[in-house]
Amino acid sequence: MTDTLTIARPRDLRLPTYLGLQLIIMAACIFLLQLDPPRPPAQYQVLSAELRQDEAVWLAIALPHRHQRTRTDAPPFIYRMSFERAPTEASQPWAIFLPRFTSGVEVAVNGATILDSRLNPTAGRVDRNIPAIAPIPSALLRDGPNEITLRLFVWGPLTGYLDTIYVGPDTELRSSYDKRMLLFQTIPLILAAWQGTVGAILGFIWLSRRHEHAYGWLAAAMAVGVIQQFIPFPTHQILHGFLGASVPLESALVLHFAARFTGLKVSSRLGWFVFLPSLIILAASAIGDPEVVRTTYMLLGPASIGVFVVLTAVILGWSALFRSERSSFFLGSTLTAVLVFWVHDALTVLDALPGERIFLGRLSYSVVLIAIGIGLTLRVVRALNQADDFAGRLFRQVRDAEEKLRASFAREEERSRKEALAAERTRLMRDLHDGLGGQLVSIVALAEQQHGGSATVIGDAARAALKDLRLVIDAMEEIDGDLMLVLGSWRERISAQLRAHSIQLEWQVLTPGGLPIFPGLRPWHVIQVIRLLDEAVTNAVKHSGAKKLRVIIETIHDVPEEASGRISVEDDGSGFDLCIPRVAASPAHPRTGRGLLNMKRRAELCGALLTISSGQQGTRVSLILPSHFGTTPSADDRDGAAGERH
Amino acid sequence: MSSVRSNGGTGNPVSILIVEDDAPTRWRISDALSRESEFSVAEAATLGEARQIVNASVPDVLLTDLQLPDGNGMELIREVKQRNGTTEIMVISILGDEESVISAILVGANGYLLKDAFPTDIADTVRNLLRGHSPISASIARFIVRRTQGGPGTNSRVSDLNTAKLTRREIDILWGIAKGFSYADIADHLGISRQTVPGYIKNIYRKLEVNTRGEAVFEALQQGLIKL
Repeated sequence: MTDTLTIARPRDLRLPTYLGLQLIIMAACIFLLQLDPPRPPAQYQVLSAELRQDEAVWLAIALPHRHQRTRTDAPPFIYRMSFERAPTEASQPWAIFLPRFTSGVEVAVNGATILDSRLNPTAGRVDRNIPAIAPIPSALLRDGPNEITLRLFVWGPLTGYLDTIYVGPDTELRSSYDKRMLLFQTIPLILAAWQGTVGAILGFIWLSRRHEHAYGWLAAAMAVGVIQQFIPFPTHQILHGFLGASVPLESALVLHFAARFTGLKVSSRLGWFVFLPSLIILAASAIGDPEVVRTTYMLLGPASIGVFVVLTAVILGWSALFRSERSSFFLGSTLTAVLVFWVHDALTVLDALPGERIFLGRLSYSVVLIAIGIGLTLRVVRALNQADDFAGRLFRQVRDAEEKLRASFAREEERSRKEALAAERTRLMRDLHDGLGGQLVSIVALAEQQHGGSATVIGDAARAALKDLRLVIDAMEEIDGDLMLVLGSWRERISAQLRAHSIQLEWQVLTPGGLPIFPGLRPWHVIQVIRLLDEAVTNAVKHSGAKKLRVIIETIHDVPEEASGRISVEDDGSGFDLCIPRVAASPAHPRTGRGLLNMKRRAELCGALLTISSGQQGTRVSLILPSHFGTTPSADDRDGAAGERH
Repeated sequence: MSSVRSNGGTGNPVSILIVEDDAPTRWRISDALSRESEFSVAEAATLGEARQIVNASVPDVLLTDLQLPDGNGMELIREVKQRNGTTEIMVISILGDEESVISAILVGANGYLLKDAFPTDIADTVRNLLRGHSPISASIARFIVRRTQGGPGTNSRVSDLNTAKLTRREIDILWGIAKGFSYADIADHLGISRQTVPGYIKNIYRKLEVNTRGEAVFEALQQGLIKL
């Protein structure tokens, strides 16, 4: 119960909201209609005139003046009026300004014709509100009273109308004329051009997307609107018919657009029916005389336009209210404005409204069409953007998927490589365990039983061989670049070795975590590094007489942004002479030189930097590891692997 | 508990059984331990001999090779473990290779002894073992933690090594050991007391131990069918 209430409430509120908004729009439009188009100062207006009734019979009338009926074929109405020019005003040029008239005028001053609006075809369009101005040649003007003779031609559906006319200095009248021209000629022309552009865009959209019917209908409506803009009047009878049919046709097309836009189902018979008024008007122009066209238009034109505009407004309003379409809400509101202007225009045509005969329906219609067109274009642009986004997203997804696939292939390859390595290692280990390992252990045990002499040397050699064997097997396990994992085992091995020689091992890891991860670190690198370190330890054990050996492990940043590692082996022994050739020849340490050479070569193979310093306080071997290990083992690696053991 | 057994010569010596088929190796280990008065050492070269000794009296410490002429040392470990749960067991290994050592750990061993270990180290290791310090080598620790990762290089889906029960801290300790850090360093780094580290390691061993009453699991382990 509560639920239905809360759901119903927004809809209940929506109708008053919508109608309220439409009322506000109507009020705004009516206010706009109250605004008078610009006029020159009142002192220049000519308010009284005489209208010729018959030969030599003149009737005094007041301006503005309306005729009760049209006289399309009849001779023009002839007006006579006079104005005064003071002698002091003779110095400046004078003009006559007619703000509004229907449908055509010919003006003569003191018997000489100075203006014929029929020469300007657009001025003949009664729906345009085009004013007229003409300078009065100074030769024609006299000081004191001057006479104007004005012939008013009447055509089209409208009755004759002549607004107040103004006579005075050109400068006083010109600005009003210019403003009116801007309002009623330049702006409509711009709007027509704009409408044409938007219409063309919508047409192209429809041509490439035929299922978007709404675009097609609106493009057609705009095309009709643009074409009728450029039809002059008076002109050929058929064009008159088209002109009369154009607005009913346009509003029928817009009605179709609204139906398609809101997704309303319209039966095709009803759909064609809306084109009937315009077809009848067109047909009338083909057969009938101007009076028939006029009558047909007056009967069908304004009424059908009104019905179509109302229908369009209702459809859009319905969509806005019951489908909560925001765009319909907007379009419906604009249609309301058009409706107000149409009512105003219709009342004007029927002479039911006082005041100047200004038609704004056409203009407002153009504005609305353009607004709709822009809205639709934006919708397409938005859809395109969405499509782009979608395509982009799709592209990214495909790329990500590809990358994942590639990565998974690489992982799979890596995994099988590692599995193969692990299997090989296991197999090798079993072989070594059963064969070589057992033999070496036996040698160690047997040598120990013999006590002293060469037996100790043999035992040590066998033990060294076992140690190396463990190193090789250890190095073969995948460690993913974490050298610390190998150093852990190495620590265990050397601590046993050092314990046997009563050398204290001091293991210092200076940076948390020890060494960084080395990408590209392979088992053969590990073997080189550990053998090098073994060599350093063995030298200390055998030749230095040290009591303490210190291993220092740290991460260093020699190259910014690139972490590398340093491993140092220090002893507190007696040191040795670093000059290798001499040391090699020295009978005291016959093997040290060879050992140093081996260490240097191993460092080079890995791209590591080896520095050895030795003195009375002991020896320090420092190995700076490269941040990236090379990918392929060098040719003489095998040779290195078979290097000297102690 | 362990201090009761390592009585330092005031009571019965700790009985140790060494099972190793290679005579020189057996002798050197035996010598290394016999030197200490606190140990009473018995030797066996085969599984059969070992069983006879165990039947007579279950030793306090069992050091056994896995590959014996008449069978696998794992069988012996299991039998001893079933008879007396408090016997400390170590594998005698040539290379300390993880595959065999871990299998032995799963049935109840607490680490391994290298065959060429120095005599003093052998005695120290056994003494530490009796003190409740199960030794764990860097390579064994590495082997276990890499299986807790399930990362590349390990295929955790087929691994039956039960690392799921290990706590975050235990895994951190194993990492430290694998990377060569001392117990003191590890304790400092993790903010735990240094004395508790051996206890953690003992716990790790216990958690890894499988229920060997299930014959199938044992058979599979022995034959290497279970992926570690």
